[in-house]
Amino acid sequence: MDLISTKWIIHLLLYCLFHGVSCNSVDQKIYIKLNDTVPCVRLLNATHQIGCQSSLAGDVGVIHFLESEENLDWVLSTGPSPPYMVILESHLFNRPIMMKLKNSFSRIAGVAVIKPSSSPIQGFSPHTTCPNENTGVYSESYDPTLAHCNTTVWNPIGNGLSYEEFNFPIFSLKDDNGTEVIRQCYLNHNRVVNGSAPSYPLCAMELSSHMHAVTNTVTCMRRSSNGAFSLNPEVVCDPLGNNNVWGSTKSLNNTATGHSENETVVIAAARLDSRAFFHGISLGAESSASGFITLLAAAGALANVTRENHPPRTILYTFFQGESFDYIGSSRMVYDMEKDNFPIDLDNIHSFVEIGQVGLHNISGLWLHSDPVSRRNNSIDTEVMSLTDVFQKVANDLNISLNLSDVSQPLPPASFQRFLRSQPIPGIVLTDHHTHFTNRYFESMYDNTEYLNLTFPADLPPEQQFTYITDTAKGLAKVATMVARTLYKQAGGADEMLASINADELTVAQMLYGFLVQTKNPWFEAIIIPEYQPLLGPAPPEYYVGVITNNTFTTKLVSYVLANLTGIAVNISRENCTNHREFADDAQSTDMNSYLWVQGVTPPNGTEPEGYCVRSTVRLTQAQSPAFLLKEYHSSNYSTWSESRWKSNIGARIFLVAGHDLEMLTLGVGVAILLISLLLTYFVNSKADFLFSSGREPANATY
Amino acid sequence: MNLERVSNEEKLGLCRKYYLGGFAFLPFLWLVNVVWFFQDAFIKPAYTEQLQIKAYVKRSGLGLAVWVAVLTTWITIYQHYRSQWGEMGDYLSFTIPLGIP
Repeated sequence: MDLISTKWIIHLLLYCLFHGVSCNSVDQKIYIKLNDTVPCVRLLNATHQIGCQSSLAGDVGVIHFLESEENLDWVLSTGPSPPYMVILESHLFNRPIMMKLKNSFSRIAGVAVIKPSSSPIQGFSPHTTCPNENTGVYSESYDPTLAHCNTTVWNPIGNGLSYEEFNFPIFSLKDDNGTEVIRQCYLNHNRVVNGSAPSYPLCAMELSSHMHAVTNTVTCMRRSSNGAFSLNPEVVCDPLGNNNVWGSTKSLNNTATGHSENETVVIAAARLDSRAFFHGISLGAESSASGFITLLAAAGALANVTRENHPPRTILYTFFQGESFDYIGSSRMVYDMEKDNFPIDLDNIHSFVEIGQVGLHNISGLWLHSDPVSRRNNSIDTEVMSLTDVFQKVANDLNISLNLSDVSQPLPPASFQRFLRSQPIPGIVLTDHHTHFTNRYFESMYDNTEYLNLTFPADLPPEQQFTYITDTAKGLAKVATMVARTLYKQAGGADEMLASINADELTVAQMLYGFLVQTKNPWFEAIIIPEYQPLLGPAPPEYYVGVITNNTFTTKLVSYVLANLTGIAVNISRENCTNHREFADDAQSTDMNSYLWVQGVTPPNGTEPEGYCVRSTVRLTQAQSPAFLLKEYHSSNYSTWSESRWKSNIGARIFLVAGHDLEMLTLGVGVAILLISLLLTYFVNSKADFLFSSGREPANATY
Repeated sequence: MNLERVSNEEKLGLCRKYYLGGFAFLPFLWLVNVVWFFQDAFIKPAYTEQLQIKAYVKRSGLGLAVWVAVLTTWITIYQHYRSQWGEMGDYLSFTIPLGIP
């Protein structure tokens, strides 16, 4: 090879190297990538796998917009070019249609659901009818008549879609522009006119969401650990989990764990997480946010009065994570209390008040639920009665309609059930429903701000929405006041202080805005640590519990709000504050309090925000199911939910596909050219002596 | 090495070495032996060492057949039942495929 051709080859290689971008442009000419998609992913428990997955390379199908249920025939039987990628308007995303698609999965490549603009009037809940059926307190051994929601079905419209397993990928399409592109592509190429099949090229979509874990948690955890011979052990699934948030009205020594002498505690609890079919769109405005915002507001209302006139008993605020998935957070806290890994144990608990779903109290009033089984014990019954009396007296003063549910009726799904599983404790669950949930969108994507009536006047500028007090905020503030006064009274506080305990409507309004509309607002900016500022954005935080290795910002945010509402600003340097100490050699304070250096606000004449130190009792504890601590992945006592891992190429794109005939023709021509070239080479080779007669004798083969 | 240029005694020595080597759980040596010496054993006109070479090739072929049968059976059983064996199936595997049982 001469020098010039070598040089040319090097040039060509360099060109390819530096102009790799131009190779991408071919990719861009073929594919349109869809942004803002949310996949349905695979979850596993001790016995099952649920959710969706695509094949390794992604599934491709011809796009079909489902306009009505009758239109389904085209996809399921008559359409000539299966498999189909079905695009559903959200009102068609229901159990009958999804099960039909699931049962004929050979003709279905995948499903894309367009994010709803309005909610179905008849209600929609992809959860089960009896949430957390097997891990609550009502087992066959506790009381056979109450097990499996025998007496009260809490979520009668639950269709269980979230717990189905699908053999094809399902995505939610958020972006309006993206769906418009798909619609145009569909109308131009795929539209069926007069029942005749559209001609190629057709518009197709590829969805990839390949999941690594399979079968159940037992299998995936085993495969994630080192096998005997495995050459490349790879973690295929992670336990669901997060952190619980707790704080108390009086400092509890965090290092002196186990039973605490002379300490009685009233626990006030709420659930932090929610879920939906697509984990990315699970706001849970009514399902969980209404409850924890009410409890946060109550904690804020109690902050000053408990600092000045602390009642005989301590009030412990707890916010449990992962309760949607078989009570991860509460089961872990109970486990920690039993194993003396918590500042108090179960015997320190005087009583329990849980705030459930309370956002829709305008519709059917507020209800107090108690456990009929533990109330068969006289002393427990007396305690529960006195707690309900306190509640009703306070509610009367505030003109709130508060009702008692039937004594024989079991508790609705609640974290309190996990405490009752361990020992009888007097307690009450406050909700906005008597029998079945008032919430018609329990754990669904429709459980959003509109459902809570969190709407702002059209002419209100966005920056004023943050401080606008909606009727929802007023209502929840009233409920929070009732909860706060009850807690104070229940903790043994004096009656004359009750009138001074009032939840602030503006605080509630700001929390509703921050937790449900957008996290980027002046209040949140001021109360979180400087490092987390970039995480604030124009959207609400994610309420899906997530996996233990990847703690969500949501939990931190709740802890910062609780610290801001219950803690006090102290004059401590930034260095001491971030090291959790009051002064340089202070080693004790960190046991009693937690310190938080927050961003603060920018003074009117300054440019930089002035940070300060907040001292509070707010702490995070792990919310990972004890099943994973004990390595009992088949446990029926504890939550065993885990989430599969996946490669990062999860996503959706659309492109045009050629017809089967054209594809075959291209392949055929390619194969023919190959065969002809082989024949030609053989022919030329065999006649080489004749064709290339240069007069030189062919060299004898030497070895 | 070109067999054409090797003497018949050397061929016999080579064939014998390959045959014996195959017993060290190396069925591929037997495969090579069968392919390499097939012509010398069965097709070429008779010569002194041919009988012995023939015997070695035959035995190599038999050993190879046994190996193929055993491996095929095991691989079929393993691929078919690995997921049902559960824990044992995973412990027997060098690489576990992602996303399938």
